Amino acid sequence: MNDECRMATRLYLSNDTSARAAGAASLAEAWVDRPEIQLIRTSSRGAFYLEPMVERDSADGRVAWFNVTPDDLPRILSGKNGTPVPSIPFLARQTRVTFANFGETEPLALGEYQARGGLKGLEQALNMSPEVIIEELKRSRLRGRGGAAFPVWNKWQVAQQTEADEKYVVANADEGDAGTYCDRMILEGDPFRLLEGMLICARAIGAGRGYVYCRHEYPAAAATLWEAIHKADEAELLELDGEPFPIEVVQGAGSYVCGEETALLESLAGGRGVVRAKPPYPAQEGLYGKPTIVSNVLTFATIPTILSRGGAWYASLGTERSSGTMALQLGGRVKQPGLVEVPFGLSLRQVLDQFGGGMAPGARFKAVQVGGPLGSLFPASKLDIPICYDAFAQAGAVLGHGGIVVYDHETDMVDLARHFMAFTANESCGKCTPCRIGSVRGREILERIQAGSGTVDDLVLLGDLGETMKVASLCALGGRAPYPVLTAIEHFPAEFRSRLRT
Amino acid sequence: MTVPNILKALLSLQEREGAVTPAAIGGIAHQLGTTTAQVAGVLSYYPDLHCASPGRHVIRLCMGESCYANGCTRLLRSLQDRLRVDVGETTGGGKFTLGTMSCAGNCAVSPTVIIDRDLWGRVLPSQLGALLERYK
Repeated sequence: MNDECRMATRLYLSNDTSARAAGAASLAEAWVDRPEIQLIRTSSRGAFYLEPMVERDSADGRVAWFNVTPDDLPRILSGKNGTPVPSIPFLARQTRVTFANFGETEPLALGEYQARGGLKGLEQALNMSPEVIIEELKRSRLRGRGGAAFPVWNKWQVAQQTEADEKYVVANADEGDAGTYCDRMILEGDPFRLLEGMLICARAIGAGRGYVYCRHEYPAAAATLWEAIHKADEAELLELDGEPFPIEVVQGAGSYVCGEETALLESLAGGRGVVRAKPPYPAQEGLYGKPTIVSNVLTFATIPTILSRGGAWYASLGTERSSGTMALQLGGRVKQPGLVEVPFGLSLRQVLDQFGGGMAPGARFKAVQVGGPLGSLFPASKLDIPICYDAFAQAGAVLGHGGIVVYDHETDMVDLARHFMAFTANESCGKCTPCRIGSVRGREILERIQAGSGTVDDLVLLGDLGETMKVASLCALGGRAPYPVLTAIEHFPAEFRSRLRT
Repeated sequence: MTVPNILKALLSLQEREGAVTPAAIGGIAHQLGTTTAQVAGVLSYYPDLHCASPGRHVIRLCMGESCYANGCTRLLRSLQDRLRVDVGETTGGGKFTLGTMSCAGNCAVSPTVIIDRDLWGRVLPSQLGALLERYK
């Protein structure tokens, strides 16, 4: 090491896509050749309202500077006015389990991953029989972190017990609900955790091959993942019981419905990503007709900790029927957008107040939507609903992938409803009539109302159409599409009525 | 695994050639041992596969919920006015192609504009001119 390197101050800067978009990319560009600093590119802590955030070591742990510009370097090098990371309320109030490494490690440093407890879950799994692994999962009461929230152990048991010459593990990295980004963060920020979760699953069900179906919209994630696979392979991690367990990244091509598991499998096989009826479930007949576990990235990323710390420990977090933690992703008009991992059970209001920090400057609250473009819209009077699967189901809503988007007083609810219906009309795979035709008719009705030529009958028609789509669509895209529209009409009726032709 | 992977073949052709021209469909079908209808069906299904080569720079505007809440429709109107094209079209000189996407996963730093491989966050309409200037 030369003198220059010895003198250099180590600064930590996130390489996450959103951190880069917030300014980390230009910081790195400005500082790359400065001999007085050594830049370590980490994942993001998810406090995106503070990004770009620069940290350095101190005697009491990491200290951070927020919303940094290149001109802030002298201030950072002087060490003055930094904030100790553990004292940032946004982070201190969270219970980081799946996101424990975020902001701490270099995403592709396998040694760091291991030093922070990585691979312990896989080690445990290798010493267990498939049945015992599934028992441990049952004890955790983990439910799939996608839309259906199906018990994970149950799905794995079906795949494990189904006789076949080949089985597959597929990570769904195409959960493209607008307003969600935790999958992207895991793919870019802690890829070995996903691979570890997939290996544990493969061991439990007896699979011989894995795929990550990754959205075309996430080029950085796909590149990081390939590199992680390469490193894991070099370290001889991609094998089970002496047999290779190859994992491949397969690119999607911009179709939203390919996040639905049957459509995903069709697309993975190289055809049109069209939904098919269930049963048979993919756990019985999936990719190429073989038993396949399809789970989203967040679900797989949760598995290693469950195996290393025990299912009972995981189940001690959260509520009885919604165990563990949930990665909530705050966006829209909140003051502090970012990733929040907390045990289930906090109310929406608590999450928005304690983490969101209230509304963005100049904005007044109008509505919040949870669970992506198919999620229900809640007015302020519904903010005390606890964040857990049952309470949401009772309120006629879904938690989905945990995206929370806040809309302000300037939002035109008629236009917003049209926006959602247009989304479904664009993204429908066309397999079932209620979704294919219903979404187009729904969009037309909303366009009529928006243009001032709609009538009271149109609102009635929209209600009927919505009910038909809910009960008769083949998958959640058509089945959930009416929820944002109907809840917008329910909670903001005046906005719709005032636009009707009298 | 005898099913031909049409999507993979189309994506790699597009990567090489910039687009999948209708003329290429027959060749791919022959190569994969399938019908032209199957190949055309996959090609028309996916939004990221296209038959015409895009302009020198591709602008995609994220229309996701967080971007919507933070003004992406104003940004879109502003881009349409500035470039004098509609979504899916390419400017006269072939410089820019304008498109939208349903979510870029950059919700916490929205609204988002992607130009080629660069992702820009917290974009205001007033910044669009300077942003476009960066692309020659």
